Amino acid sequence: MAQIEVDRLTKTFRVPEREGGLAAALRSLIFRKYKQVQAVQEIDVRIEEGEIVGFLGPNGAGKTTTLKMLSGLLHPTSGTATVLGHVPWRREPAYLRRISMVMGQRSQLHWDLPAMDSFLLHLAIYNIDREQGRRTLNGLIEMLDLAGVLKKQVRTLSLGERMKGELCVSLLHQPAVLFLDEPTLGLDITMQARIRQFIGEYNRLHRATVILTSHYMADVTALCKRIIVIDRGRLLFDGPLAGLIERVAPFKIIAIDLQRDLDGYDFSTLGTVVSAEERKVTLRVAKDQTAAVTSRVLAELPVLDLTIEDPPIEDVISNVFAQGREGPA
Amino acid sequence: MRVSLAVMFQYRGEIILWAVWGVIYPAVAIAMWTAAIQGSSDGTQIAGYSARDFAAYFLMTMVVGHVCTAWDVYEMGYYIRSGNMSARLLRPLLPVWQNVGDNISYKVLTLAILIPLWLFAAWVTEPRFQTTTVHLLLGVPAMLLAAALSFLLGYVVAIGAFWITKMDAISEMWFALHLFFGGRIAPPSVLPWPLSSVASALPFQWMVWFPSEALTGRLTTEQMIAGIGWQLFWLVVAVVAFRLAWAAGVKKYSAVGA
Repeated sequence: MAQIEVDRLTKTFRVPEREGGLAAALRSLIFRKYKQVQAVQEIDVRIEEGEIVGFLGPNGAGKTTTLKMLSGLLHPTSGTATVLGHVPWRREPAYLRRISMVMGQRSQLHWDLPAMDSFLLHLAIYNIDREQGRRTLNGLIEMLDLAGVLKKQVRTLSLGERMKGELCVSLLHQPAVLFLDEPTLGLDITMQARIRQFIGEYNRLHRATVILTSHYMADVTALCKRIIVIDRGRLLFDGPLAGLIERVAPFKIIAIDLQRDLDGYDFSTLGTVVSAEERKVTLRVAKDQTAAVTSRVLAELPVLDLTIEDPPIEDVISNVFAQGREGPA
Repeated sequence: MRVSLAVMFQYRGEIILWAVWGVIYPAVAIAMWTAAIQGSSDGTQIAGYSARDFAAYFLMTMVVGHVCTAWDVYEMGYYIRSGNMSARLLRPLLPVWQNVGDNISYKVLTLAILIPLWLFAAWVTEPRFQTTTVHLLLGVPAMLLAAALSFLLGYVVAIGAFWITKMDAISEMWFALHLFFGGRIAPPSVLPWPLSSVASALPFQWMVWFPSEALTGRLTTEQMIAGIGWQLFWLVVAVVAFRLAWAAGVKKYSAVGA
């Protein structure tokens, strides 16, 4: 049995809507219109222990709603799910003690108190053995480099410091499943890299299952071997990242730096021209043609430098969304 | 509770002002009823309360009112509307326990401010107490039961925020019911019919009026025992209502605000 099993999970919200303006506001006093929003539509997922899974999708796709159902915050409209053998929305204390959720925009730390007070409260709430708790806390403080902020009020911390504090408090009880909803949101590049490194280390050390949503592709490529793509509540793709690239973007990007201008040379005979500037041409070439095209370029053209790359992951994901909107997956 | 106290220590000015606020209503009521007695037909009493009886009663409502203070009906809407409730729901502990901690911490912390105020008010108004040992033995538990009832019923109303989200009007209505039918403006016995009948059917009188009357010595032993029985009845109602409302509310929760 997988650690996380989701079957035809669906969540529909009934939301009020109205036109803008005072007249519409007055009308809505008596005649209120509602709209059904299908945030998640019949998602099926299986996740094994220790996996790090990236949950990708545009804004409003249903990623966070799915995470909230799996963490027990929301009741689904229909469908079933079990996480660690528990039904999440029953919110049994035994389940809640084994999971953790970090929401980039929501804080679990006490705003008015030094971070250390929140950590100690957390240890008490989760009934963690005093000695064990202190050891875990000290380990996390060292891994996240939090020593300098323990005595500072949380509201005075920078975003990066607060994020590290959120991760610390979320891991004090050593959860088996970690839901990370945009954990690097708003952080600078250095801090993003540190958070990613930390999550990877935590996963390796504790075999914790991590489900991560992010709009930063660097998070996904650094951490996730498997990704799930969701759009408009529907699952579009579930598999290895390499498989997604193979399926959606089976081509390579060849960037060529030339020693001199080649006016009049028809680069379209080599592949699709992505861009052509003075002494620099970028081509998109089918994967199975890459070797042949590269040989031809090196033989026929005055090449200064040549790089062969996979297409940017952002473009791949955008293509997935575009294809998903054109028709069912 | 330690954390709740620590948070309150951060905002000393606010705590002082809230504590003083709780004294204002009874102080105004004492002045109002003293003036009313002077204008009454015999100029000495209204509905069996002399000026000193009113002073004793409202002085006691200062104490009991403080012990029964609960404000979750004002705050729950904010927590749910802002999405901050999510962090509380993720813990393996009912969020209500944090509210219990905050509630008790506030009451303990503000005693240092209120006790001198109460003593000053007592010195100025010369209240007449008829309290015996029996009144204390039954009145103090009645006051504690009143605190539990006030908190829990207020929390049940606050749970309405899962459906209504903007609870401001309901909060004010709840406070008005407390004020009017709970005995903070007048003992329910001085209310005209049918208001007195309405008051006797509602739980509010068991929160402030009943313990205050008991501790000022105006009730018989039988009346106090019967009153405690009614408090226990309403407490059971509150517990059942809480369990049902909480289960339904959490199911309704939409975790807005990401």
